[in-house]
This record gives sequence, structure tokens and C-alpha cells, in this order.
Amino acid sequence: MRYRILHKTAYRYSEPASLSLNELILKPRATLTQRVAQPRLTVVPDPQYLHEYIDFFGNSVQVFMVQQLHPELTMTASSLVETLPVAPPPPASTPPWEMVVGQLAAHPGPQELDAYQFIFASPLIAINATVRAYAQVSFPPNRPVLEGALELIGRIFHEFTYDKSATTVDTSVDQVLADRKGVCQDFAHLAISGLRSLGLAARYVSGYLETLPPPGKPKLIGADASHAWLSLFVPGFGWVDLDPTNNVIPGERHITLAWGRDYGDVTPVKGVVMGGGVHTLSVMVDVAAQN
Amino acid sequence: MFDAIRFPGDTFCEAFDSSGIAREHWQPLMNALDAIAPSVLAQRQERVRRMRHEDGATFNPFDDAGGRGVPWALDMIPLPITAAEWAALEAGLIQRANLLEKILKDVYGAQNLLHQGHLPAELIYANPHFLRPCHGIEPAGNRYLTYYAADLYRGTDGRFHVLRDYGSNPAGIGYALENRIVISRVFSELYHHTQIRRLAPFFQTFHLSLIERVALRRENPGIVLLSPGPDSRIYFEHALLSRYLGYPLVEAQDLTVRNGEVFLKKLAGLEPVEAIFRHIADDRSDPFALQREANNGVAGLIQACRERQVEVTNPIGSGFVDTPGLSVFLPALGRQLGEADLLLENHPAWWCGNPADREYVLANLTQLNVQWALARGEPTDGLPADTAELAAAIHAEPHRFMARAPVHPATVPAWNPDSVGPRYTLLRVFACATAEGFAVMPGGLAITAADVPTLLGSTLERQQSKDIWVYSDRPVAPFSLMRGLQTVAEFKRGSDLPSRVADHLLWLGRYLERAEGLIRLLRSVFRRLSGETRLVDIPELPFLLNLLRAENTIPPAPDKSNPIPRFRELTHQLNASLYEKERPESVVTLLKQVQNAARNVRDRLSLDSWRVINRLDVFTDTAAGDPLDLLDDTLFTLSAFSGLAMESMTRGLGWRFMDMGRRIERAINQTSLIRLGLPRVCADSRSALETLLEICDSIMTYRARYRTAFQLAPVMDLLVMDESNPKSLAFQCSQIAAHVEELPRLDSRRYTTGEERLALEMLTAVRLFDLTGLDCEHEDDRQTTLENFLRTMEVRLTAFAQQVSAHYLTRVPATPHFTAIHGEPEP
Repeated sequence: MRYRILHKTAYRYSEPASLSLNELILKPRATLTQRVAQPRLTVVPDPQYLHEYIDFFGNSVQVFMVQQLHPELTMTASSLVETLPVAPPPPASTPPWEMVVGQLAAHPGPQELDAYQFIFASPLIAINATVRAYAQVSFPPNRPVLEGALELIGRIFHEFTYDKSATTVDTSVDQVLADRKGVCQDFAHLAISGLRSLGLAARYVSGYLETLPPPGKPKLIGADASHAWLSLFVPGFGWVDLDPTNNVIPGERHITLAWGRDYGDVTPVKGVVMGGGVHTLSVMVDVAAQN
Repeated sequence: MFDAIRFPGDTFCEAFDSSGIAREHWQPLMNALDAIAPSVLAQRQERVRRMRHEDGATFNPFDDAGGRGVPWALDMIPLPITAAEWAALEAGLIQRANLLEKILKDVYGAQNLLHQGHLPAELIYANPHFLRPCHGIEPAGNRYLTYYAADLYRGTDGRFHVLRDYGSNPAGIGYALENRIVISRVFSELYHHTQIRRLAPFFQTFHLSLIERVALRRENPGIVLLSPGPDSRIYFEHALLSRYLGYPLVEAQDLTVRNGEVFLKKLAGLEPVEAIFRHIADDRSDPFALQREANNGVAGLIQACRERQVEVTNPIGSGFVDTPGLSVFLPALGRQLGEADLLLENHPAWWCGNPADREYVLANLTQLNVQWALARGEPTDGLPADTAELAAAIHAEPHRFMARAPVHPATVPAWNPDSVGPRYTLLRVFACATAEGFAVMPGGLAITAADVPTLLGSTLERQQSKDIWVYSDRPVAPFSLMRGLQTVAEFKRGSDLPSRVADHLLWLGRYLERAEGLIRLLRSVFRRLSGETRLVDIPELPFLLNLLRAENTIPPAPDKSNPIPRFRELTHQLNASLYEKERPESVVTLLKQVQNAARNVRDRLSLDSWRVINRLDVFTDTAAGDPLDLLDDTLFTLSAFSGLAMESMTRGLGWRFMDMGRRIERAINQTSLIRLGLPRVCADSRSALETLLEICDSIMTYRARYRTAFQLAPVMDLLVMDESNPKSLAFQCSQIAAHVEELPRLDSRRYTTGEERLALEMLTAVRLFDLTGLDCEHEDDRQTTLENFLRTMEVRLTAFAQQVSAHYLTRVPATPHFTAIHGEPEP
């Protein structure tokens, strides 16, 4: 599929802000199943400083500063993305999960070593016995790892309620597990925590999902939003994406922006503003299919 | 004196060999100390304590009495080390620093050690000391480790072992410097007649090497010392180092990042910073890149480092060196990275991530000290106390644990309250990067404690310290440590100063004046009470008490018709206004505000004025003390402080802000005193007018000038209009106007800023005010006019103070924001 992505973030300040420093992770990553063309970033007012670097995880990060008084700040990231069909391995054919754990622990090759960094607790994803107990149910002895993981995200999908008001960006995995509600970020964090608690490698993926209008209705522009899911390392294959919010293996309609240990590593837009009083934020995302 | 000490037999003793004979290098020291009478030695130790206190080498010195403590209190007996032994130690430290720097360079760069399996993956991936945002950054000065410290102990075999390494922001060098300053004064003869290596050349090397690294990019670079501020336990050290090295002391809020470069916020604008001597922890350096909650870093600092626009000592991320488990791998890494075997032995340690080590640890769990291998903070906090639970935890996540052999540090003779006794000791030693590699400070901080757990813990106020004397084979060149300590560190270019400092100086001026004003007023009351006269026979007492009541210093009179309370009641009220800490306007509260404001600008004050400030501590309610004496003494101390502070400050912006604070406060205080007193001065004319002059500190001037009885018009003229009386309102206004003229401004035209206009308005108003016809005989509108005028002046003065703050001193709050708007699940 080909998409035109538009992600517009606008801040309006009650008093003019004097200085604004921002870091954006909004440039889609090129992967085996995703090609990216014409990535653009437009900032209004014009930033005095704009710099781009590749972070520890290989994501592209854009840093900019607006240094004059500004009552509002708008950043628009756009790109053309082509997604290719994803061919995940047949779940039953993947190795037993204990074997995967053993291979990661031994990390004999560069691929396993690289994956190994995603088995540890991270700032926003704690690992503990409660989460482990929850995840363990889906991983009886010798179960193929992908089967277990698919069951785990299926349980999260069925047992948890999607509730935007229930959590914030800092909600802990424990709380999500206790309240049984949250948003895609929380579900991804929970699934990752469960997999890591078993010794598996799982990373957090930030991106978009093309939304489809209800049957017979036209698609509204800007109705899309940021999305988040996770990716599981399967030796011999590589990384397999899993979307607990929709209980699917992401395919052509999922567009990958970046990945890291948790939301904190790949926050799409973060910033510090000096002054500005109270701000109001509006975000508009459009994932438009191209022919 | 040393003969009677019994040292524990199972440890190495620094001073005596196993047969009880004093080691050779201790003998001159022991002879010198033995030659001094014990009572004199006790006095010297007391002098040491006092010097350290007056220098302010304390924790939060002005907090409540309970919170007061002295980190690393100084014991006057130094720890001598021979030249040969030091040379070996020096070589070992340099080798270790080199090795650690190579490791840092690899870990934050290519990570070959990781990929080739020389460094376990957990040490990077599960290690909070490894900062991912710093990966790939090449430090501006091309050095990954520029400042390094290590804790060493001497084992039972008499050899030195390394217990801990510090790379993030090593602490203690300021205390080592302070110890040397104190000890070289207390034992000045011994010190100057012994060949002891000086510390000053090391600081010079530190500075020159830093300059050299930075000057590759710019001449005359701006260097600052970044401190967490006065709440730090060891703020004293930061202030001392700032003064000594000549780097302005700044806090995170003083710095800002623009265009990927770092600037210092000053009154006249932004000044570029090329190098930062960092005394805040790694993970608190940049709230933007590292910890979202932390509010005490400089947002964007890591970006500036990434752009190689600023040299930070140490580079952010160097705290990787502090990883407790790293030392286990150093011998092997040393061989791998081309260093020979380590010259300085590690303290024996095992990392449970290694299967063999884990087995050993689990088999010897009760004999070893288990601790966290990777965590930040206290190494044993939160460990399971129960052995079985601990073993289970190790099995579950072995990489998080390590174990160390019990430490048997050497003992050393230490001065106890009245005799000499044994204490355990560690040596903290320091090294800095030079063009050739590293240089080690010949000396350091010997940390001592009565027992090993205290010695190894982090309760600095329960540890003592000693100066380390490194003997030299050659005569040492005289080198003054004190040079530089009398001046205030300032950027070479410009006479501007950081806005935060100006703010604190302004308030220091205001609190000083406020305290002096209140003390003067209370003193007038106490003077009258100390006589034989009955209260009702003191005619001006109602006038004074009304002033105190109007200022809320004492509670209102319950009965309006009888303004004078009983004697006991009154002394009770007055004592409360002196000593009660909870009252916002009590003397003791005001003095504390003075001290707090002073400690915020501690690096700006001369050591002498700082010593005077510390003497304000004595203001407490002692049964024996006479309040009048105490008030007199305190007024004297405050005057001494003002005199010293003003005297030792150049007439730059710092001085202006402090003096402006004083003038504003005095003007406000004076105006309200006169306004509040006015309704009564005529009722009991003579005594009240005289008292008003007394509390306004103008009675001598009045006598000299008028030689007449006290009359309303001349008194008011002197207190309000007379520009030649330094206590008059007019004088304050003219001083304020003069200061405002010198403040940095963007527009060169006069009277374009709000504060300039207000200052002119006030000065003109007071000059043009007309007192003609004012007297006590006519209770007419002339008095009302004066009252209204005074009231307007108070409003203007307050507005002026606000205007100055808004223009120069406002600290804009920074708000972080993070967005994530998440889509709904598919229907």
C-alpha cells in the first residue's frame, strides 16, 4: 500500500512563549517491508536551529529550537510511505519459547545480541511477579513462542477495555493490569512486560494505523491518530509485530515510525517551553491511501 | 601520646609496624605532636573545628539545629605517605584512569568490547549508568574521562586496593583543599619545614589542561562550575572550588541552550559558555534527554554536547565508571585494551552474571557482602535480608547482583575528643586529564570512621577526614593556596552577572536592612526596660509599642485605653518577637533569611564576610543572656558584615543590586515608621520625636545640625527631605536613581524603562515636597498631606521593586510537554 502521512501538532500559548526546544521522532523508518520517500518537516514559526541525528535504536530524531517570542507553534511532518505485505512465520512453526529464552541468554550472534537489549526492564516498563504470572498462562512448556505471544495479546484484547480517560503517558504496567483498561500504549507496555518477564525480547513500536471509514461512508481527513504496538524477537526469523489493541499481526495498514524499549524512547513529540503560560494542544494525523 | 593506643591486631596500622615501632615516615610527625602539650593540642583541634565551621564547611548550615552536621569533619593529625609509596600509587591510578577512559570511549562509540564478548551485554543494556542519549557523542575536548576519583584502602597485606571508582561527578576534592588550607595554618611550622608536596600545582594543571582542550576552539573561554545549589550536602565544596579555580558558580537555571550552544543568563543578556565543570550527577544533567521529571538539569545540554559546542568535565555519561560491577572486568579488559596487568589491585569481587562467580557467591553467601551490581544509589538498599530469599533473587536475575569480600581497611591514629585512638581509613584520591594522559593530585582526602560499616557508608557527617601528606624527595616549591580565594570568580569579559545572583543579592540587601531596622527598634524598647523606671513612667513607651504593634511585631493591645501591658506580659511578647522561629517577622526569622540569602550567593562573598555571617548562629534565647547585649552584638555583626561585603565587592552590578535592595528596604521601612508614628508624635511631642530620631538613627545628626529642642518640621526635614542625611528618604531615592542609571539597558535613551521613570518620579516627588508650616500646634491638613505623601511613596517604592524584578530577575518557568494522541481500536 502507498500512503501519504501528515502529522500536525499545534501548540497555542496563553502568553507568548520565549523559547521552545523540541525533539521529534516523526520520520518513518525504512524497513524490509516499508519504504519511505519525501520526508518533510515544516515548523511555524521558522526555527533558528534544526538538527537531525540517529539515536541509539537507529531512529531518526529531529531537534529544533524556536528562540523568539511566539504565541503558537505548529510542526507538520509529512512523508510518502509504501508498505509491503508482511509474511509472518506460521506460529506453530516457531521454536518453543524456552529455547528462545536460552538463545537470547546465550546471544551467540549479533542478531541475538541486539535483541538481548530488549529483555530487560526499562524506565516505563517494570518487570515483576504479577505480570509474569499473567503472561505465564499463555506459555505452557514447549509452546511455540509466537503462538504464546498471539494468545497473550488476544487475552489483553479481550480482557481489557480501551479507555482514553483511564491512563496518562506515565501509567505503570501494574496499574494497567489492576484496572484492566488503558490505551494502545498501555497494552503494548503490558504485553512487553509480560514477554520480558519470561526472558523474551520485546520492543515498543510507535507508528500509525490507517483507519477505515464505516461501510458506505467517506473517510474523514485527519481522523487518524498515533498508534503503538510491540514487536517480538523470533530467532531464525527476526522481529514479528503484534498489535494487542486490535489483536492482529500488523500488516500493510500499520506504518512504523520508530522503535525503542518503551514509549519514553520514541515519544513522537516532546519539548520544553519557557514561558507561554497555559497551552492548548491540537494534533491532527492523516493517513491517506494513494493510488 | 601515641604510646597508649591499642590498634586492632588484625588490620594494617599506618603508623606502627607489627612489633609496635613507629614507622619511619610517621616519626617526625609524632615527635612534633608529642612536643606539644595535650591541652594545647586540644585547643588546636578546637581551632580546626572553628576554622572549618567559619569557612562554612557544613551541610545546609542554616537549617534547623537537628539537620546540622559536618561532612568529613577534619581531624588534625595528617596521614603521611612516603614518596616511594606514592609514586607506585600514582602510576597505578594513571593506568586505571587510562583504562577506564578507553572503556568509556568504546562503550559510547563502537562498542567493540560488547560485540566481541569482552564486556557482558548486561553491563550496557541493563545498566542505568549507561546513558543511551549520550551514545555516539564525541566529547568536544576529545577526552571521555577528564576528572576521576577512586577510593583506596590498604589491606592487611599492606598493599593498596581499589574499592570504588568515580566518574560521574566525583566529590571530595574541595574538602581535601579546605583540609590542607586549615592544617597548613594550624601546623604552619611543621608544614613548612617538611617536604610535603603542594596541592596547588595540581589545580593549576587541571585548569590549564581544561583551557587547552577548550581553547582549540576559542580563546579566553567562558568556564562555569555547575552545582545543584545550596541544597546540596556538599555545596561548600562547590563554592570553594568556584572561588579557587575562578569559575563562576552557576546552577542549572542560570544556563540556557540556544542554537545548540550553552549560554549563561546574565543581566545584560546571554554570555556563551564553552566549558562546564559539572558537579551534578550524570542522569540529572539534562531533564530533556534523560529524566523527564528531574527539574534540575539544563534542557538541551546533551544536544550541545552532541554538537561538540561545550566541553563538559566529566562528559555526561562518564558515570558508567561508577557501575559497581565494572571493576570485576577491569583486569581482563586491561589486558584486552593493551594495558599490562593492573598495578593497583581491585578489591576482590564477583559478578553473579558469570556462572562460576555466581556459584562461588551462592556457596559463600554468608561470608560475602552481596550488593547490587548495576543500580544507582545505595548499593545494598532493598536487598532481601533473608539468605534464602537473597539466593532466590540471585537465581532469578543473576546479572543484577555482585558480591565483595569483606573489607579490612588499615587503621590510623586519629584525634578523639581528648586523646589519640585508632580509626579505620580509606583514601580518596583524584586525577585529571592532561595532554599527556592523566595527573594525580599528590594528596587527597583520608576518610576515617570508628567502624568499617560507617567508613563504607554514605553518611558523611559520621565520617571524619584527614589531610594526606605526600612526602617529597626533593624540596618543594612554595605555592600559595590562598591566591584566588579572596576574589570572586567572574567571566573575564564584561562586568555583568547572572540574573539569579543579582536576585539573591538584592534580597540579601533587603533582609539585612529589614533585620537592622527591626533590631534598632527593639533595642530602643529594651533600653528603656532595662532601667529602674516603672513602665508607666516612660513617656515614649506607648509610642514605641504602637509602632511595634502596627508592624505586627507584638500582638495588639487588648485594651485600647491602657496601651502598656504588665511587665511580664510585655517581656514575654518581646521575647517572642526576638526568638520565635515560627513568626515571620521575628528577629531570628529575619536573621535566618539573611543567612539564606547569603548562602545563595556564598561564592560572591569574601571569606571574611562569610565568617561573620556564620556568627549570626549565636542568636538564641539563653537564660543567662541579656537581650539588650544580644541585640547590640547582632547589630554589630550585621554592620560588620555589611561593611565587609560592601568593602570586598567591586562596585559592579552585584554591589549595585545589593545596595539597591538595602535602599529600597530602608526607604520603605523609614516611610512607614514615620507615617505610623506621625499621629502620635505631637501628642507627646518631645519624647516621641526624639525616639523617632533614635530609631531612624539620626539623633546625632539632628543635635549637630539644629541644636534646638525637637520640633516636628526640622525632624521631618531631616528624616524625609535632607539628601545629605544618609538615613533620609531623599537620600535613599537619590541612591536608587543613581543605581538605576548604571543598570544594563537595551535602549541608550534615558528614561525609557519603567524602573528609570519610577526612580525619577520618586526622587522628584521627595525633592519637591513642601514642609512649610508643618508643626504640632496645628492639627491640620498639613499633617494629612504629609501622611498621604508618605503613603504614595510606599506604593511607588513597592512598584519600583516589582519593576526591577520583572525587568532583570524574572525566572520564566519551563514546562515540559509530551504528546501522544492514540487512535481508537478498530471497530
